[in-house]
Amino acid sequence: MTLVPLTRKDHAALRLNPARAAQAAASVHLVPLVRSEIRKITGQFPVFLAKDGETGEFYPAALMGLEPHENLFWAEDRLEASRVPLNLLRLPFFIGHDGAVMIDMASPAVDANGPVALLNADGSDSAWFTSVQAMLGELAGGQAPTRALVDTVLAHGLVQEVKLDLRFHNGTSAQLSGLYGLDEAALGRALPQIADIDTVMVLAAMVLSLDHVATLVKRKNARLAAMDQWLAPQV
Amino acid sequence: MNKPVSRVCIVGGGSAGWLTAGLIAARHGPGLSVTLVESVQRGTIGVGEGTWPTMRNTLRKIGINETDFMRACNASFKQGAKFAGWRNGRADDFYYHPLVLPEGFPDLDLAPYWNEAAQASDQPSSFSDSVCFQQFLCENHMAPKLMTSPEYGGIANYAYHLDAVRLGEMLRDHCVNRLGVTHIDDEIITVEQTDNGDVRAVVGERHGEIEADLFVDCSGFASLLLGQTLGVPFIDCNDVLFIDRALAVQVPYEEEDSPIVSHTVSTAQKHGWIWDIGLTNRRGVGYVWSSAHAGADRIEEELAAYVGPAFSKLTPREITIRSGHRETFWKNNVVGVGLAAGFLEPLEASALVLVELSADYIASTMPATRHAMDIVARRFNTITRYRWDRIIEFLKLHYMLSERDDTAFWRDNRDPATIPQTLKDQLELWRDTPPGEHDFSSAHEMFPAASYQYVLYGMGFRTRPREGALAMAHKAADAFARNMQIKARLGATMPTNRALLTKLAQYRFQPV
Repeated sequence: MTLVPLTRKDHAALRLNPARAAQAAASVHLVPLVRSEIRKITGQFPVFLAKDGETGEFYPAALMGLEPHENLFWAEDRLEASRVPLNLLRLPFFIGHDGAVMIDMASPAVDANGPVALLNADGSDSAWFTSVQAMLGELAGGQAPTRALVDTVLAHGLVQEVKLDLRFHNGTSAQLSGLYGLDEAALGRALPQIADIDTVMVLAAMVLSLDHVATLVKRKNARLAAMDQWLAPQV
Repeated sequence: MNKPVSRVCIVGGGSAGWLTAGLIAARHGPGLSVTLVESVQRGTIGVGEGTWPTMRNTLRKIGINETDFMRACNASFKQGAKFAGWRNGRADDFYYHPLVLPEGFPDLDLAPYWNEAAQASDQPSSFSDSVCFQQFLCENHMAPKLMTSPEYGGIANYAYHLDAVRLGEMLRDHCVNRLGVTHIDDEIITVEQTDNGDVRAVVGERHGEIEADLFVDCSGFASLLLGQTLGVPFIDCNDVLFIDRALAVQVPYEEEDSPIVSHTVSTAQKHGWIWDIGLTNRRGVGYVWSSAHAGADRIEEELAAYVGPAFSKLTPREITIRSGHRETFWKNNVVGVGLAAGFLEPLEASALVLVELSADYIASTMPATRHAMDIVARRFNTITRYRWDRIIEFLKLHYMLSERDDTAFWRDNRDPATIPQTLKDQLELWRDTPPGEHDFSSAHEMFPAASYQYVLYGMGFRTRPREGALAMAHKAADAFARNMQIKARLGATMPTNRALLTKLAQYRFQPV
């Protein structure tokens, strides 16, 4: 990764191929979410809480693989998903510590022949870049509400560790740790205190989304089957 | 006699008083009135003190979160003790008593296999390092947990080094503000008794009579109620354990990033030993010795040599220790906890754990009536006496196995007349059979059999391996190999003790 501050002077002629930007997701099993997108993402992915390795703090994240560095939704060159988290859509752009927009010049999306430009011929922001800025804005503005959501579930003692103990068709198994879910019974008891309907819906959506783990297992089985076929001796 | 017990009065604050108040109040809630009377002495500074892993559960029960506790008490992680120079005093003489059990223990006992290998070798490997990964973490100043570990949970078993005065203050705030404990700052001038000898009330200088149904004596060495009012005799154990003085200093860290050692270092000296306990803000160092064997001037010289040039700027504090305990601990409606019950040298950090165990027992068996109290008291006395006896024996084990011949202190410690008979019996058995659960059958044991193994084999004691004990050679080989693998894995992932403690000043351990 080569992060540099994005400037009109340095990047006036920059062109990109957004389809390649998500390449970075190929080896990611957890994608951090902001509160505003959780209800949408739970429609496709299981949404857990995970801990930041540096600070120990919880953050909501979509699970895309059943072991670290595995993304079961990545197929050759694209993400097979209709609901993609902002943290993948905004690539290869980042927000720096001072709030300035940064770009990863090492991203495969940076492409002189790419279909989209950063700026229009008249120097104004392209429609595509405007949409990226909106996403970055939603991510930046989403930090505080996301933190508040985490504080709420902790304050009400809703968080519990979830150990995924999985068995696959070919007889192998996997244990995935470091994931935390919401305790449905505790959520029920805390309902009168939480009260806010939007918060309740977000939390309920997270509880229900864990059913999607089955989708991940299905994809894993398909992958393993394909691999077995490839390895099987040809007659 | 069938008066309900509805009021508990704890006499004396400090870590003993407030731990007791916290455990009782947290368990019983507002149904039981808990009052603590103490003469508040402000500005005292605690010597660094070591705890057992039990402290984690104790604080959780009281309702304190780990991050707040560690910040308030300048606490650091403790993963056991390193005993240096105890066997022969040579430069390479050390062993560990870690808090993690030997790999596979107790289903699999590695002691016979290690003994067999040690017997065949000129330079036997360290027992504690061969069977347990924790020594590796300690030697590399690594932490027992990660920033992502939940509060009170870890990768390796751990306890704390803490400032006991700060612990008392933090518990006081929690007990008063959260648990509804009534705090009375007063000097007790007299004690009022009833006809049957029970304490009816303690009388404060400013507050007058403070009545209660049960009094917990946490008044320290004074043993105000148990010793003075009820006249329960003190049983000296200086015939077994000779230590009766301590000279303590607080040593600043040399550099801002000097390692915070994650174990207690106990270094044998000519007439005793030196403790070295790393808190987050400084080290607590002290020399405990036997005044029958040496004068304070010679002790200060040795302590100065241990601390180094920094010593000249420090002010050592001398403390007199009376090793022993009360004959009974619960008499009438008075139960003693902490120094009021007794004290032993800090070699295995037994002071706070005895407070925790006693207070927890009192809280969980709190008699509902005065009549029931006598039954609870009898049981409490039996269990507590058993615990003191086991600790005394375990402490003696550290001394009696030493080969040091440099002073009368070490030679006298080997005198058979100073060794309790039960300990002699155990050692006779351990010549042929390693310490195991069969040796420790009480539900109220203080040390697991593994602790005895760590000390025995660390001190050079050998158990003759018998064929039957070596029947699971493959499993043993796997366990030794597993221990090596765990070391390699943790070596690559664990932060240093200081790095984690620095992070903890900014971030918090999560509740799960």
